[in-house]
Amino acid sequence: MTDLLSHLWQGFQVASHPLNILFCCLGALVGTLVGVLPGIGTIATIAMLLPITFGLPPVGALIMLAGIYYGAQYGGSTTSVLVNIPGEATSVITCLDGHQMARQGRAGPALSIAAIGSFFAGCVATVLVAALGAPLTSLALLFGPAEYFSLMVLGLIFAVVLAKGSVLKAIAMVLTGLLLSMVGSDLETGAGRMTFDIAELADGIGFPNIAMGLFGFAEIIRNLELPAESREIVQAKITGLMPTRKDLIDSSGAIARGTALGSLLGILPGGGALIASFAAYGFEKRMAKDPSRFGRGAIEGVAAPESANNAGAQTSFIPLLTLGIPPNAVMALMVGAMTIHGIVPGPQVMTKQPDLFWGMIASMWIGNLMLIVINLPLVGVWVSLLRVPYRLLYPCIVMFCCIGIYSINNSPTDVWISALFGIVGFWLVKHDFEPAPLTLALVLGPLMEENLRRAMLIARGDATVFFTKPISAGLLLTAMTLLLIAALPKIRKRRDEVFVEE
Amino acid sequence: MSEGVTPSPKGAGFPVRTHNWTGGAIVTALGVALLVYALFTANTTIPRFMASCVALIGLATLVGIIPVQSPRDYYGGLALVMLTILALIASADLPGQRGFAFGPGTAPRLFSFVLAAVAAVVALGGVFAEGPPIEKYKVRGPTLVILAIFCFGVMIRPLGLVPASFVSFMISTLGSSEARWVESLLGAAAMTVFCVLLFVYLLGLPFQLWPRF
Repeated sequence: MTDLLSHLWQGFQVASHPLNILFCCLGALVGTLVGVLPGIGTIATIAMLLPITFGLPPVGALIMLAGIYYGAQYGGSTTSVLVNIPGEATSVITCLDGHQMARQGRAGPALSIAAIGSFFAGCVATVLVAALGAPLTSLALLFGPAEYFSLMVLGLIFAVVLAKGSVLKAIAMVLTGLLLSMVGSDLETGAGRMTFDIAELADGIGFPNIAMGLFGFAEIIRNLELPAESREIVQAKITGLMPTRKDLIDSSGAIARGTALGSLLGILPGGGALIASFAAYGFEKRMAKDPSRFGRGAIEGVAAPESANNAGAQTSFIPLLTLGIPPNAVMALMVGAMTIHGIVPGPQVMTKQPDLFWGMIASMWIGNLMLIVINLPLVGVWVSLLRVPYRLLYPCIVMFCCIGIYSINNSPTDVWISALFGIVGFWLVKHDFEPAPLTLALVLGPLMEENLRRAMLIARGDATVFFTKPISAGLLLTAMTLLLIAALPKIRKRRDEVFVEE
Repeated sequence: MSEGVTPSPKGAGFPVRTHNWTGGAIVTALGVALLVYALFTANTTIPRFMASCVALIGLATLVGIIPVQSPRDYYGGLALVMLTILALIASADLPGQRGFAFGPGTAPRLFSFVLAAVAAVVALGGVFAEGPPIEKYKVRGPTLVILAIFCFGVMIRPLGLVPASFVSFMISTLGSSEARWVESLLGAAAMTVFCVLLFVYLLGLPFQLWPRF
C-alpha cells in the first residue's frame, strides 16, 4: 500500500510540473480538435500529430502524447455519436446507441456521459495499474498460445451475440473478417497471400481503410438514398446538452460495471480494450430489464463501452509493459512514439526509468481530467455541427475521410481500397449483414492465426489441446454457452411471431 | 441454423417474388468468371468444382427452378460463397501443412472452407424461409460519392491537394439531388482553403499543393 502511494506520488510530482500540465492540456486540445473532424479517426489523428512531440524532452513528449491520445480517442467517440463514423475499432460499439441518441436529439447527453464514464474509468484504472502492475505479471504469463486463441474466439462470439438479426449471418461476417485479415504477408514465411500481386496489399488491407469504407462511406451513400425528410440527424431537435439526473442514475451502474469489466479484460493481452468494449455492451444488454432498448438509443449502451474501453486501454499498459504486446492499432502507434524517444516498452521501464513510467501513468490520469475540462464546455459546439445541412456536410466528411486515409501512409491505393469497401458496406446493409463483427475479426485475425499456429505446433498437431487445457476449455465453453443462449431465443421468438400471425 | 428450422409462415405480408432472372443472371456470370479464372490457375480442382456449382445454381435461379423466398439471404450467402472461391483460387499457390506446422496457405483455406459452409447454409435458408425483398439500389448518390473518392486517389499524387480536394468536393456534392451550384462552389472553395491551412500549414503534413510541372 505504501509502495502504491509512493509510486503514485512520484508520478504526480513529475506530471504536475506546470510545463508538463501545459503539454498535456495542449495535447488534449489539439487531439480533440483534429480527432473530432468526421472521418479522421484516432489512428490518423495520432499519426498526424506525432511529429509535434519530436522536439520535446522524453517525459514532456510522452505526457503530451497521452493528452493527444485521450483527445483523439474522445474525438473518435464524438464522430461515432454524431455521424456514425467510428474513429477506431473500440468505438465501433459506441456507434450503435450513441448515434441513435443523436438521431433522437440527445447527442449532448451521449457525449457528456462518454466523457464522464471515461474519466471515472480512467481514475479507477490508474490506481489499478499502480497497484496490480507487478503481481499481475505472473497471471498474464499463465496464458499460452492455446489460451490466447480461445480468448479471441470468446471475443468474436461476443461480437456475434451483439449483432442484430441472424446469428448465422453474424458468424459469416466474423469468418469474412478473418479471411480478409489473411491478405498480406504471411507472419512466419513472409509469403504474399492473396495479394493478386498488388504491392500495396503486401502489408494487408489495413484496418482504417476498411473501417472508413464500411462505416463512413457506406453510411454516407445510404443517407443519400433516403429522402431528405428522413435524414433525422440534422432535423431532430436537440433537447438539452447535459445529461439529466435520470441519465446519470441510469448510467452510473453501467459505468461501474463497464469499468470493472474493462479493467479486467484490458489486462489480458491481445485486443483487451477492444473486447472489453464489446463485452461491456453485451453484458449491459443482458443485464437490462428491457434489452430491446439497446440499439435504439439507450444511454447505458454509450456509458458501458466507453468506460470499459478507457479502463481497458489503461490497464492494457500492464501487458504492454510486461510482455511488450500493444493491445490495438492506436497503442501500437504509441509504442512507435516511445521508441522514437528511446524508450523500449518492456518490464525494464518500470525499474530503470521509474520517473518516466509513473509520470506517464499519472499523466494518463491528468489527460483524462483535461479531457473533461476541455470537452464538457465544448459539447454544445460539437453538437451544433449537426445543424449544418446534410448536402454540405457530407462532401466535407468525404474530403476529411479521403485526407485522413491518405495521410496515414501517403498512399492513393489506400483511398481506392476504402472506396471499394464503401460499396461493400452498402451491399452488406442491403443484405442485412452487420459490419461490426467483421471489423473485430479483422483486427484479431492475425493474432488469432499466430496463436493457433503456435498452439498446434506445441501440441504436435493435436487439435484437442484447446479443450484439454483448463483455462482454454473454460473460455471455449463460455463462448459456446453464449452462442447457444443467443441462438435459442431467436428460434423461439420467430416461432412466437408465426403463432401470433396465425 | 435458425433459418433452416423456422416453419415458413404463409402470407407473411412480404410480396414474395420467387423468380428473379436478373439475380440469377448475375450469379451465373460471376460463377462462370470465377470458373474461367480458376481454369487459368494451377492446383484449383476444388474451386473449379465450386465455381461450376455456383454457375449451375445461378442458371437454375435464372430459369426459375429454385424458388427464392428470401432474396437478401439467398444472394448474400451466394456472394460470400463466391468470395471464398476467389480466396481459394488466390491462395492455391501457397504451401499447406508440413508435419505439425501450418503453412502460409493452411489458415486461409481453413477459414475459406468454414465460411463457404456457413454461407451455403445462409443461402439455403433463403430458399426455405421467407424474408423481405432486396431494396432498390439508387444509382446517383453512390456512384458519384464513390467516383469522388476514387478521383481524390487519382489526383492527389500528380496534381496536389488543392485541385484534388476541390474537384472531389464538387463531384460528391452532385450526388445529392438537393445540390445547388453556387453554394457547392463556395463550399468547395472554403473546404479547400480550410484543408490547406489545417493540414499543410498548421500540422505540416507533407502534401503537395499544386500540380508539379
